[in-house]
Amino acid sequence: MSDSTSLYVDGDSLLHRLDPRSKLALSLALFVPAYVFGRPEYIAIPLVVAFAGLLAGGGWRNLKRIWFILVALFVVGLVLWPNFVEPSGPTLVDAGPILLTLDQLLFALGRSLRIATFVVTGLAYISTTANEELVRGMRGLGIPYAFCFAVGTALRLFPTFLGAAGTVRQAQEARGLDLSASNPIERIRNFVPLLIPVFMTAFRNVETQSMALEARGFDTRRERTFYRESAFAVRDWAAVALAVAVVVGAVALSSTGVGTF
Amino acid sequence: MTSSDGIAARLRDVVFSYDRGADLDTADLSADADPDDREGPVLRGLDLDVPAGSFTVVMGASGGGKSTMLRTLNAIIPDFIDGSFRGEVNVLGRDATQTRVSEMAHDAGMVLQDYESQLFGTSVEAEVAFGPENLAVPPEDIGPRIDESLSLVGLPDLDRRREPSGLSGGQKQRLVFAGVAATRPDLLVLDEPTSDLDPKGTRDIVDVVTRLSEQEGQGWSGPETIVMVTHKIEEALLADRAVLLKGGKAFRSGPLQEVFTDVEALREARVAVPPLVEAFDALGWPDEDLPLVPKTAAEQVRASDLTYTGPKNPEQAPAGTGAETGEMLFELNDVEYAYETDRGPVTAVDGVDMAVREGEVVALVGHNGSGKTTLAKHFNGLHAADAGDVTYKGRSVPDYRMSEIGREVGYVFQNPDHQIFADTVREEVAFGPENFGLEGEELDRRVDHALETVELDGLDDEDPFSFSKGQRQRVALAGILATDPEVIVFDEPTTGLDAAQQRQFMDLVGKLNREEGLTVVMVTHDMATVARYAPRTVVMQDGRVAYDRATRDLFADESLLAQYDLVAPHPTELANHVRDDDDAPALTAEELVTALGGEGVYSGGEQ
Repeated sequence: MSDSTSLYVDGDSLLHRLDPRSKLALSLALFVPAYVFGRPEYIAIPLVVAFAGLLAGGGWRNLKRIWFILVALFVVGLVLWPNFVEPSGPTLVDAGPILLTLDQLLFALGRSLRIATFVVTGLAYISTTANEELVRGMRGLGIPYAFCFAVGTALRLFPTFLGAAGTVRQAQEARGLDLSASNPIERIRNFVPLLIPVFMTAFRNVETQSMALEARGFDTRRERTFYRESAFAVRDWAAVALAVAVVVGAVALSSTGVGTF
Repeated sequence: MTSSDGIAARLRDVVFSYDRGADLDTADLSADADPDDREGPVLRGLDLDVPAGSFTVVMGASGGGKSTMLRTLNAIIPDFIDGSFRGEVNVLGRDATQTRVSEMAHDAGMVLQDYESQLFGTSVEAEVAFGPENLAVPPEDIGPRIDESLSLVGLPDLDRRREPSGLSGGQKQRLVFAGVAATRPDLLVLDEPTSDLDPKGTRDIVDVVTRLSEQEGQGWSGPETIVMVTHKIEEALLADRAVLLKGGKAFRSGPLQEVFTDVEALREARVAVPPLVEAFDALGWPDEDLPLVPKTAAEQVRASDLTYTGPKNPEQAPAGTGAETGEMLFELNDVEYAYETDRGPVTAVDGVDMAVREGEVVALVGHNGSGKTTLAKHFNGLHAADAGDVTYKGRSVPDYRMSEIGREVGYVFQNPDHQIFADTVREEVAFGPENFGLEGEELDRRVDHALETVELDGLDDEDPFSFSKGQRQRVALAGILATDPEVIVFDEPTTGLDAAQQRQFMDLVGKLNREEGLTVVMVTHDMATVARYAPRTVVMQDGRVAYDRATRDLFADESLLAQYDLVAPHPTELANHVRDDDDAPALTAEELVTALGGEGVYSGGEQ
């Protein structure tokens, strides 16, 4: 009864219709500005665009899944980064050992926004790209098919793996396993009865799976065809052109000092 | 593609061991393989001919080499699985011992029991296209094949973009069949394709296999030859030929009717004798007249001078289980439970009232998704009701700590591999009782007793991972028994066990109930198990209790069975054909024999 759906959200948005390769180019057009600029107001732009893309592609459901991780990354960055920067600019907080200046805050904010941009962009990509598309896109970039297929399968299997872990946990809790022990060593030890069955089950599954795979004629050494191999459309060329312009523009601007510290 | 002599697959002197370094020349191939022995060759000089155009069913005890034999037909052995191999395998004119699996996939398709491991696509369409893509079928030909395959498996209207993970188990397995059919194999190899399915899913797959064997495909005329391994007699009856494997050799093979009415051979091969064959053999019918299906059997009874008199104590289970009931243990009051999903809460249990008394054996049946497992998890607090309440001995279950309720109410999960983790059997079995605070002599005593009960005593120091499935299931049971519970909840206790192991496991459960008053709640799809051991059945439908009364009354009412999508065991179906309305139906072969007058009562047609 577990609801083990993959991260891909089926839909018909523009992002869904784009070729996985042109989508990759668009992702780079968000990654690069987020990386080359440092000031938060500049990085906020790719982040907002990434969010818009995620929502337009129907990825809201996935955002809900990883919301916690995103916030945690953001907050941890905001707290840690000021310690790595020389304090300069107007002082915001000065309470004994704690000193925070405006520049420190802006720098940390920029770094946290950067991480968030990476995560949200990646999520938007995976939410709008089916595994088969992903594999096809990677292969289109000249990556060996066997590797592409392995990545696609790993993504697909992840929810199944989580489902098995849930069952194992219930089975052991029913036998009195207490996962809330206070002693940290005890706590780690208590995970052994969970991890071993989860990995053994996964291992057995992988064996059956690879057997079933070959029985269906899967062979990385042989020629294969692709049903629904989409050609690069006009919109894909447009997307790539846009991406190139953004990347070139961002690199040029930042090299003149705009948007950086 | 068939060789000229009309043989689709020819095996000669095939020997195979999963041990890579096995010396096959000196291995003892004559000994009967112990079904629980994991070492030594599994195939021990197998000779077999599968005629082209036949539908052959392969049966035998666990460890007899059934699945191993199937894997030689599409070169998984010896190409894919490392081991020691010897012998000749010729499949559709090819030397299968010299062919790659992916090459064999052009001619031979395979469907395994575990559908989850056989689905690779993120959409229905991608899944079916995967095989043809691998075989380099031109893209423009793949579309028509998808249409053809999906209608062959009875899913023509399924949304092509739908994710397979959201389908029911039966639909998933049908999708696997579609994926294989799309490669248009001449030989179809099926390894227990319905073992993980509920009764409805099973029936759908039976329909698919029937359709494929009748070659009704439009663009493609279906696989010429089918070879299937199964434990279920209803499925075996689809075939026209049968092979019994025993100790890695073909022990009997021939036309289905001939093999399945050879009671001695079936027993010797540790294959469950079809219950009607067993009954009619005991009644005194000659071997050549033993019936396989209830309809023929009913005609034979009507033509004879035997009369049917129902069991004297119809409220009793044939196994004598669940007879003594004592104090009230569980009371469920308007229980509701919903799962949180991405698309909001999904109600799994929707207002259930139910009570269980000490010493009862209650079967909990219904489709996958009917809420039976979710409900069962309320008995030991794995789930806490969203609304309503569940009490054990008058106290609310969520008010117990897990360490309290866990000692009293054991839960045996379907797959023993979801809980086995220790290096030795003793350590594994002691895990539960230790968690519940037992130690020293008391702990040792409990573990010893539990191992003795499941007949694994003396194997304390063995590694449970090296055990057969039947043994692993018993290790899991011992781990629960060692906490000395008052109640055990079983979730599909017999899945993956062969007929003999199922019987052994359930007889053990029955004995614990009769002799020690163990209360049993079992979630199961296996109606023969329900009929034999559970005097009371609860049918779940859409999260509600649809039926909660005597098992015998349920099986006596064909319209109820149809309504719940359940199928009665063959002896019951026969009894329903021949009994008077006020007579109760027999539930097992033994009851049927008694109801028709006892052993040897038949002495020929006319007197």
